[in-house]
Amino acid sequence: MSGQTIATRLLLGLASLACILQAVAQTGDVAVVVSPDNSIASVSSIELRKILAGEKHSWPNGRPIRIVVRATGCNERLVLLKLLHMSEADYKTYWAAQVFRGETDAEPVIVLSVGMQKEALQVFPDAVTLVDVHDVKPGMKVLKVDGHLPGDAGYPVH
Amino acid sequence: MNARQNKRRLGQVLIGLFALSGSVWAQSPTGQETMAQLVQEIKQLQQQDHDLQERIRLLEARQVPTPPANMANANPAPVPAQPAEQIPPREVPSPAQTDWHQVHGIQWHGYGEVNYKVLDQRQPELGTGGFVPGSAGNFYTGDFDLFLSSKINDKTNVLSEIAFGEGAHQDFSIDLERFLLKYDFNDHLKMSFGRYQTGIGYYNAGFRSASWVLTAIDRPLIMEFPGDGGLLPLRSVGVSITGLVPSGKLGLNYLFEYGSSDTVRQDLNGSGTVDDENNGNQLNVGLFVRPDVLPGLRIGGSFYHDKISDSTLSSRIRISQSIVNAHVVYTAHGYEILNEGFLIRHAPENSRIAFNMPAFYSQISKRFGPIRPFFRFQYVNTNKNNTIFDDVGLRYGPSFGARYELNDYVAFKAQLDHTLRGGKPNLNGLQLQLVFTF
Repeated sequence: MSGQTIATRLLLGLASLACILQAVAQTGDVAVVVSPDNSIASVSSIELRKILAGEKHSWPNGRPIRIVVRATGCNERLVLLKLLHMSEADYKTYWAAQVFRGETDAEPVIVLSVGMQKEALQVFPDAVTLVDVHDVKPGMKVLKVDGHLPGDAGYPVH
Repeated sequence: MNARQNKRRLGQVLIGLFALSGSVWAQSPTGQETMAQLVQEIKQLQQQDHDLQERIRLLEARQVPTPPANMANANPAPVPAQPAEQIPPREVPSPAQTDWHQVHGIQWHGYGEVNYKVLDQRQPELGTGGFVPGSAGNFYTGDFDLFLSSKINDKTNVLSEIAFGEGAHQDFSIDLERFLLKYDFNDHLKMSFGRYQTGIGYYNAGFRSASWVLTAIDRPLIMEFPGDGGLLPLRSVGVSITGLVPSGKLGLNYLFEYGSSDTVRQDLNGSGTVDDENNGNQLNVGLFVRPDVLPGLRIGGSFYHDKISDSTLSSRIRISQSIVNAHVVYTAHGYEILNEGFLIRHAPENSRIAFNMPAFYSQISKRFGPIRPFFRFQYVNTNKNNTIFDDVGLRYGPSFGARYELNDYVAFKAQLDHTLRGGKPNLNGLQLQLVFTF
């Protein structure tokens, strides 16, 4: 194994560890983020649950929704599972069944970092993802949920 | 990047990480437990890293080409505490430069099972999936499924399910269980063309054929495939259309199917008789609601109609077959509560005779960590004078067992069945099953 491979693996492991530590440290609001090209500005919490569960497949303009999620252990992942009332195991089983039923062509795309989430939004203009409010970057459009933005009283995604 | 730069970057990351972990550690009342948890999760994540690298590689190969994002036109909602960094839009290839087949590729999944079954009655009963009736008990493989799907564009994809099924003498046959061209225009109009599993009730559309997705080892008898002694036409070739009806919080959905079934069913009594029902074209319509007030709840029903005949009789009298279904299903919070009722009506043409045959099943399970115990009660009552289902008669009884997830890809199931059969001794069975996906 080359030195560069070891370094890459170590960095990935450290990124994962940082993600877990971040999850321990962060308990605040999580933003629902889409591409700036997406015309949608707000969703209800019920719509959000349906979108993230793959029950709602398309945006109002008819474009298919692509779900991008963070890897296991991250705060965004924990919030996602909380929204769907699922355990990690339930979530994996659920999506495996969704694919097998033909309800969706693939499981949600899993990414390791906020940077990759941002990149995914650029590559997939119809993507939606959850981002810790402190990690929201330019190039990410934050949706209102039930009329509230992250940080507002009554914001439901945290 | 040279080795020195690598070392310097690693050092920076480690220092940052140490500082971060230190601040978190100081806030934690149970530091040792937390650290033990973290170490465990790191091990899991290392494995996931490997999986994710593979997934990223696939993702990069499947990137949907789009024109560069126009950030100037974006109108993002206000965001608290944003850094001022502005990333230039990523350059992506134009659609004209892309070979869609190479970009999207084919996704595939495999599903397999290994079974052991023992019955307390040696009087012949139908052997399915390789089980030999009359034996004290034996191993068999059941179905090995290959599921393939390929995206043609954002709204269109092709899927197929190919099953290698074991026969009574460890011979194997290949069956194209599903083969569909799917076009999802939007949430209100989703169309499938090809060979599909009919939407009679919930179970058939909800669980498909691989045992991996089933909680119990086998399907309820009323939802069993005809080749395994089931009663209903569960597959058809034609068009299936479904979608959401604008209905607010009610979440009303519709289903419309028109196609040609060709149900060939084996008699359950082990006589070896095979009925080819020579179905005419079938119509199946259904409605169901998924109310917002209780996510996971589905209430609905369907009506199926076609004309069949009994190939075992010399006369080819056509029989009008109607199947009415009602179901109430709840799947959320780890619960799986399935309740379905059926009424099968067979009315021979030019006759005043009609057979109304009821059936139902209820299944409840709840997941506790890796284990999901389940209980099922089923009931089928067909008329002995109905020559198509005369082998079934009255059958009812409970099944209970559990499914244990060994990991994300392998599960073990155990199930006990007690079946009361009209005019025959009761049937008790033990089934064990190892299911896996890859």
